[in-house]
Amino acid sequence: MVKVELKEITKRFGEVLAADNITLEISNGEFFTFLGPSGCGKTTTLRIIAGLEFPDSGKLFFNDDDVTNLPTYKRNTGMVFQNYALWPHMSVFNNVAYGLKIRKISKEEAKERVQKVLNLVNLAGLENRYPSQLSGGQQQRVALARALVIEPKVLLLDEPLSNLDAKLRLRMREEIKDLQKRLKITTIYVTHDQEEAMVISDRIAIQNKGKILQVGTPTEIYNRPQSLFVATFIGGGSLLEGIADKAGEKIQVKIDNINIQGVLSSDEQRIKEGDKVAVVLRPENFVLEKPKSASNQLRGIVEWTAFVGSRTDVRININERRLIIHAPPDVDVPVGKEVTFYISQEDTIVLPMEEVS
Amino acid sequence: MDVRKTWNRLRRELDLMTGTQTLLSVFILIFFLITPLFLMVEEAFVYKGEVSLKWFFDIIGDAEFVSFKSKGGRLFEVHRNIMYIWGLDHGILLNTLLVAVVVTVSCCVIGVAVALIMARYKFRGKEVFRVLLLIPLLATPFVNAYVIGKLFKPTGGLINLILFDILHLLPWRIDIDGLFGIALAQTLSYYPIVYLNVFATLMNIDPSLEEQAENLGSKGFRLFRSITLPLSLPGLAAGAIIVFIFSMEDLGAPIGFLGARANPLSRKVVSYQIYSSFAEALAGGISPRTYALAVIMLILSVIGFVIVKQFVSLKSYAMLSRGGRWSPRARKPPFKYGCVIYIFLVTLIIAASMPQIGTVLLATTNWATSGTLPTEFTTKYLSSLATNPDVTRAIVNSLMYSSAAIMIMILVGASIAYVVARRDIPGRSLLDVFATVPVAVPGIALAVGYFLFFSRNFRGTFLDPLTDPALLLIFAYSVRRLPFTSRAIFAGLQQIDVSLEEASLNIGAKRSTTFLRIVLPMIVSNIVGGGILSFVYSMSEVSTSSTLGALREDRMPITFFISQIVYGVAAVGAVSIGAALCVLLMSIQILAMVISNLILKQRVAFLGV
Repeated sequence: MVKVELKEITKRFGEVLAADNITLEISNGEFFTFLGPSGCGKTTTLRIIAGLEFPDSGKLFFNDDDVTNLPTYKRNTGMVFQNYALWPHMSVFNNVAYGLKIRKISKEEAKERVQKVLNLVNLAGLENRYPSQLSGGQQQRVALARALVIEPKVLLLDEPLSNLDAKLRLRMREEIKDLQKRLKITTIYVTHDQEEAMVISDRIAIQNKGKILQVGTPTEIYNRPQSLFVATFIGGGSLLEGIADKAGEKIQVKIDNINIQGVLSSDEQRIKEGDKVAVVLRPENFVLEKPKSASNQLRGIVEWTAFVGSRTDVRININERRLIIHAPPDVDVPVGKEVTFYISQEDTIVLPMEEVS
Repeated sequence: MDVRKTWNRLRRELDLMTGTQTLLSVFILIFFLITPLFLMVEEAFVYKGEVSLKWFFDIIGDAEFVSFKSKGGRLFEVHRNIMYIWGLDHGILLNTLLVAVVVTVSCCVIGVAVALIMARYKFRGKEVFRVLLLIPLLATPFVNAYVIGKLFKPTGGLINLILFDILHLLPWRIDIDGLFGIALAQTLSYYPIVYLNVFATLMNIDPSLEEQAENLGSKGFRLFRSITLPLSLPGLAAGAIIVFIFSMEDLGAPIGFLGARANPLSRKVVSYQIYSSFAEALAGGISPRTYALAVIMLILSVIGFVIVKQFVSLKSYAMLSRGGRWSPRARKPPFKYGCVIYIFLVTLIIAASMPQIGTVLLATTNWATSGTLPTEFTTKYLSSLATNPDVTRAIVNSLMYSSAAIMIMILVGASIAYVVARRDIPGRSLLDVFATVPVAVPGIALAVGYFLFFSRNFRGTFLDPLTDPALLLIFAYSVRRLPFTSRAIFAGLQQIDVSLEEASLNIGAKRSTTFLRIVLPMIVSNIVGGGILSFVYSMSEVSTSSTLGALREDRMPITFFISQIVYGVAAVGAVSIGAALCVLLMSIQILAMVISNLILKQRVAFLGV
């Protein structure tokens, strides 16, 4: 069990920055996820932790031990590869037992430990199969078992679910989460699927173009995105651009002739009067009746509705700016009708404008 | 900072295994490829201790080597009812280039035609034709040209008997010999190289590319000229340069024709000149002029090879767009074309298989001495393989050299392939180049380089070819056939996802353990496949065998022995023993192909860039 610490890690591939001055700490027993679009550098960051890539600069620590230049085979991490990387010429048993043989564990003990870990991942009885005889989900479990059996300091998972079909993906992510909780092993996970990241992680780091933009619990990241990139990458929602009118504890934003009051997502952000800002509005935060708390009132014309089962999505046109709101499924809002709706000021997030990349 | 980074990277990449692999490969390449060739080049540019082009000017200025006016020979001349087709003598160097160009062009025309037919048409018996078309690839060194020379004798030659005396198809008897004979023999044995390369490219062209052109209204020759041919150019270029190199350095055809007909025109090629200078080597040494000749050949080959390789990698775009249903276009030809296809293929196969059929006849009958046709079967030549001590010694020698050579090839080939495919060390692309370039190094040039380097610096040791050429032959085979092994292994490594190795490293295995337990088991079929192929090529290797191999009688390999027999050093009729040895070579080759196909489930790799 180990704490992982990255200090100013930078890695370049030619012109591309895969890791841009990354500093962060992953606590013992934590389930930590790197989330970002493809090509953002999250897999490289994971491979640096595994020792499969080496940073151009910066340091990496496991429990305060500097492991920056340690080759991967001396790090004792258990990695699950995106394509599972099962050795086709070895049976399930031999795949899993490989790491134990390398460690010169006695045959009996190895057998016992393999058996135990296969039980853990629900694969008992398949020891003699070969990878080609297994389904995708089973292969995934073998890869997991192979990584776990060596009792690694850190479990590293590189988009492990991306090759599975949708249903299996849901089940496996629960299993992985469950397993991690039972074993209390520090786990670092890489994915581009934001829902997966939210469900599975204790904390998430959002990465883009090599940079870590924000680190926080799923709730923090969802409710308090600190940049436009995070706000748009996580969760749906509409962005309205405007000018900061009054800056204080709450920010007043002028969007054409509408005034909206909102909050900043962190104390570090500074907004002056006259700054260009964006307001992030999550569709599920809108209500059609005036709430008790301080709220913004908006009016617009219903342009389009779609019944999605648990709710009705409504697109509203406010002076040629469009918002999506989630309304109750049985709502009665005919297209063309003007409606009034509300959003709490606490849920109205104001972010400084930046170049959206 | 940067230095430290590089140093750190080197320290990580150059673990014990990678270091050993790299050092071993670099050592072998430097000692047995680069230095000998470099010394030879150096020697050719030095006269009286100074850098000079004297030897090259000597060659170019000497009418014996370069003569724009014909100095002799006969080309389509009729005398006394015999049409002489020998070719004209323009000097040794020009002759060689001329023959190589003619052979390359004819191989391209035939090869492309055959490839188009085989790739684009469906017809009865296609599978049989597919096999028969490869017969010329069966090695019958020296004897193949001997057979052609024998068949085209104006009197007593089977071809003239059939076409002139029996069918009256020809107004005169024909006499094919000399340079033209060499070109004919080479074309018949090399066209499959072009055919296979073009065929492979054609099968790889996305069918939708041609379909799109047809959809836009292109068809027939226009479709071929505008789409199919440009897209198959990489294969064509690759095949053509190999044929060109093979033709320049070929010894089999000149010696074979000399053995059959003794026409001095057959001597007027560079390869023969270098070959004969090895006979002088025993007495005195090799003249710098020979170095210069070998250097010219080397430069032409290597430059051609490099250009073609560049071209091929630039033009391999047609394979990029894969998607949808992939089934190469093949259709049934209309009846008329079908007949043309059959006539063409049958004629070609009969013509191109003549050497192999003739070899078998020589080995199993009294054809060598009986005249136009054999009169009785005999097993005495084949049994001499086991009973004649000279013959068995040559066989044992070749078997030993080739076995030792494949060990070296596999070790070095696997090392280079692994380092190039997987490790990030400076100069690995150079390593890759030097592992590929022996394909383009004419064997006789290498032999000359070896002679120069080793006889001069290792006089009297086991590395001195004048003392014992065995070890040098082994290394010559290893280096010359290294590309086949290393490429086969490289192809295997490319099939393996790197993550399979990373998973092993990550779990705690060192690189050497990973190599032994994970990588090797997965590429074992490539290693065996590449090894078998290299073994076959080593057994039938001609150019270094018949030059270096000539330096000590009890060390001679099979091919030098055959050349001796065919050239007529041994008794009349003994050519049948040479043919019997060729039958042995062919059997080994067929066996290797069968093993590759049936057991390893892979096609024998062929000669390409």
